Amino acid sequence: MLKRALAIITLLIIGYWLAQGLAGVPFGEDRMLVAQYYLDHVKEQTGAVNTVTAVVVNYRGFDTLGEVTVLFIASTGVGALLWRKKRERTAKTEGSIVLTTGTRLLAPFIMLFGAYIFIHGHLTPGGGFPGGATIATAFLLLYMAFTVYEIPHKTFEKVEGAVGMAYVLVGLIGLAIGGYFLYDWIWQDWGFGVDNVGRLLSGGFIPVIYTIIGLKVGTELSGIIDNMLKEEVSE
Amino acid sequence: MNGQYASLLIALPLISAFFVPLIKGLGKKAVKYYLVLITALQTGIAAWVFQEVYTTGKPIIVMAGAWRPPVGINLYIGHFAALFVLIVAVVSFLMAVFSIRAISVDPIDKYAMLFLLVMLGATGMIATGDIFNLFVFMEITAISAYALTAYNKTGEAAEASIKYIILGGIGSSFFLIGIALIYGSLGTLNMAQIAQLAGGMDATVAQVGLALIVFGLAVEAELFPLNAWAPDAYQAAPHPITAMFSAFVVKAGLYALARILYLMQAVSSWHSVLKLLIIMATLTVFVAEFAALRQKNVKRMIAYSSIAQIGLIGLAFALGTQSGVDAGVFHMVNHAIVKALLFLAVGHVAVSLGGAEMEKFEGLGKRMPLTAFAITVGAIAAVGIPLFNVFWSKLRILLATLGAGYSWAAAVVLIASVVEAVYYFRLIHTMWFAGEGERISEGLAVSLMLLFLAALVIVIGVYPDYAWSIAQKAGNDIFNVADYIKNVPLMGVGA
Repeated sequence: MLKRALAIITLLIIGYWLAQGLAGVPFGEDRMLVAQYYLDHVKEQTGAVNTVTAVVVNYRGFDTLGEVTVLFIASTGVGALLWRKKRERTAKTEGSIVLTTGTRLLAPFIMLFGAYIFIHGHLTPGGGFPGGATIATAFLLLYMAFTVYEIPHKTFEKVEGAVGMAYVLVGLIGLAIGGYFLYDWIWQDWGFGVDNVGRLLSGGFIPVIYTIIGLKVGTELSGIIDNMLKEEVSE
Repeated sequence: MNGQYASLLIALPLISAFFVPLIKGLGKKAVKYYLVLITALQTGIAAWVFQEVYTTGKPIIVMAGAWRPPVGINLYIGHFAALFVLIVAVVSFLMAVFSIRAISVDPIDKYAMLFLLVMLGATGMIATGDIFNLFVFMEITAISAYALTAYNKTGEAAEASIKYIILGGIGSSFFLIGIALIYGSLGTLNMAQIAQLAGGMDATVAQVGLALIVFGLAVEAELFPLNAWAPDAYQAAPHPITAMFSAFVVKAGLYALARILYLMQAVSSWHSVLKLLIIMATLTVFVAEFAALRQKNVKRMIAYSSIAQIGLIGLAFALGTQSGVDAGVFHMVNHAIVKALLFLAVGHVAVSLGGAEMEKFEGLGKRMPLTAFAITVGAIAAVGIPLFNVFWSKLRILLATLGAGYSWAAAVVLIASVVEAVYYFRLIHTMWFAGEGERISEGLAVSLMLLFLAALVIVIGVYPDYAWSIAQKAGNDIFNVADYIKNVPLMGVGA
């Protein structure tokens, strides 16, 4: 009892102190040093109409490369820890008729929608991460509906590695052409899509990178599902 | 050559890690040699960067995407980063060579990827000049470290990893909230601009933000009371990984702590945060040394010793004086060498004899004389005997602590050093004067690495001046914030 009371009192003190700190942060005031710059220059500098995307992929693309790596580590880590010599699916109950029929009908469209999200990342809300997650949902549905279904995980693993390399390569091409890592040579040097801002073929390398990220996230999340669903079987 | 090519330090390990799934069909051996090749290349790039920075005396500013800070993200490879990126690369290379012998658990391809990504994360943490980017690299380092801790797939390893994940996750979220508070009140994430604007920050916000960041990073930097995961993780992780944890992963966290602390030195509540850190660091030294005394497993004992030394470095950084920071950096370099040596040697014994318990070390002087010699050099150095490298940095830390007026902290550290001497000499005694045994083969590659590291320990111990001058330059890089701000080509957004 005493222990619990002490814990509560400590928490209250820390909470009060944190609230004091939060209260000191100006809320709703103009604190947009860098953010204002992005809003003012995004169209001419990146060719994207979705400013958030431009910040994520172009201005702070280095962070995004890191975030992609974090997801890659998560998937690799799951793969490393759940590794067994021989693993198979052991689910016994087939999905209900609603689930199987729905999955048959919807799976291709869900994948298409995922692709739509990442291809239009520079125009509409969304991008590579939600697009890839949507694609992985389709595979999750397939896993739930059919007990025998398996993704071709060897291929998926190779795709995952190859698109990851493609991302770094895009950055290295920027280094070779423009002299800076992750330099957007498609927009800045080639001026591709300058008259096309707000349509599909614009936005410099943003659609390229988002396609890469979409594929990567899609294969990675599906790979994690695959790893978690399978169980060890004796040979 | 163009300084922007320093971005290869990040690009190379990343692209190489993504390449591993494509070559894993070639077999285990191929993947292990591939790892050695990539780390050797990384060492080459790091050596070029080091040479460039130390001959021109100017930091390399890598601007990702050609955006000038604070709009884009920049890497700041100054004297400190150049030195430590080189240390990260060299230690990774040595451990990649050691991995050929030490790692037999499957799946090797995943091991190689995670190995490269730990190296990448630590390099990025040390090199970055953007506080959110620092968070991203910290996540990369930490998450690969969680996975590698559990890599051996034993029960202990899983337990250690879960402990690490929980503490690390809480630490990361603290760190993130701290960044959010700073961003909320300053409107920028660039470290140089934060330093520029820090003086005008609300004192409470700065104190809360900074304290959250200190607590968040203290998990990675293994400061008491947030280091409970460390001994378990060190013991359970594969041997090469343990050496990497001690030699640079923890250092990256410690560096990030020191860097952010000194960037914010203009805020009015700065000294209260320093006091907090001094207490945490001193307690770390004290608690870890006494815990080490009771250990039966040599790897775990050295893990505790490593934590204690880290506390000593933390103490040096928390003093807030130039001499403290210089001494701290010097100790970081020495500690990286000594602990790489010790963990390599102990790991080697554990691989050869099947365990790292104290009994396995009886008669080691007769069974594996070279390895026993290397452990002896490392142990004597770690205790801080003159003519070995750690002596000089420990001495300087003690002098700096006394100079800053914290004689009680210096006294605690001295008492802890006596304890350290007790358990290290007990280990030396066990190796040379107890037990019998037949001579067994020690392996050429590992022997060469042990001799190289032991030679470094003694050379720096006898001629400390060159290493000390490098450490002073690197320490100045952290302490002298005015130069840091001047060196980053801020484009003057909003300022």
